[in-house]
Amino acid sequence: MSAQPYVIERVYNAPVSKVWHAITNAEQMKQWYFELPGFTPEVGYTFTFTGGHEDGIQYKHLCRITSVVENERLSYTWSYDGYPGESEVTFELFPEGEQTRLKLTHTGLDTFPADNKDFAASNFAAGWEYIIGTGLKGYLEKA
Amino acid sequence: MSKNKLDVFQAIADPTRRAILIMLATQALPVNALAGKFEMSRPAVSKHIRVLHESGLVKITDSGRERYCSLNQQGFAEVTNWFAFFDKFWNEKLNSLENLLNQEHNTDKL
Repeated sequence: MSAQPYVIERVYNAPVSKVWHAITNAEQMKQWYFELPGFTPEVGYTFTFTGGHEDGIQYKHLCRITSVVENERLSYTWSYDGYPGESEVTFELFPEGEQTRLKLTHTGLDTFPADNKDFAASNFAAGWEYIIGTGLKGYLEKA
Repeated sequence: MSKNKLDVFQAIADPTRRAILIMLATQALPVNALAGKFEMSRPAVSKHIRVLHESGLVKITDSGRERYCSLNQQGFAEVTNWFAFFDKFWNEKLNSLENLLNQEHNTDKL
């Protein structure tokens, strides 16, 4: 797998401050992202959330904020408890008149277990639950 | 990712199909046995199995009078392509964010 970062951009019909609020306020985050007990946008803040199949293994996501520039940039690490690999997610906001361009960069995807032969070979079934249960869960159930 | 077949992400978008995959994760099962595990009609289960088969996630092998379903590791490889996985994931999340922002935009609250 290539080590190139994943990048996606969107333009939202909302001012930067509103988008910043949506990506840094736990109440807002739970409406589009993940349910978190709390969220404080400051470097070093750690947070976790869990996803998994109802009847299967639960996977804990581990995140630690690495960069915060209010209304401009938010970065945090993103890894899975008990599994190798660490990625980093960065949200960058750019004002465009009344609108906001959001650039999301996710680096380090190549460090995840799919590239780990041990994981892929011996944990085939667990891998399935992993895929089905984590990030996909939310979007799949809304699909 | 998908070429001339059903999108694997669409295939696993359904809870019944996810349940079938979880069952097959530990063992191959005859179509009849799978059908018996769900409350829905047998044709309905068969349809789900067909979708999983067409998406490349499930193999169907004839053995005597039974047709056995098992996971197809190649289909799995497509889902574990993290790049594709996160592309789907972030697109969906950012769509949700857009919905949230539009709601607020319209109602002018916060």
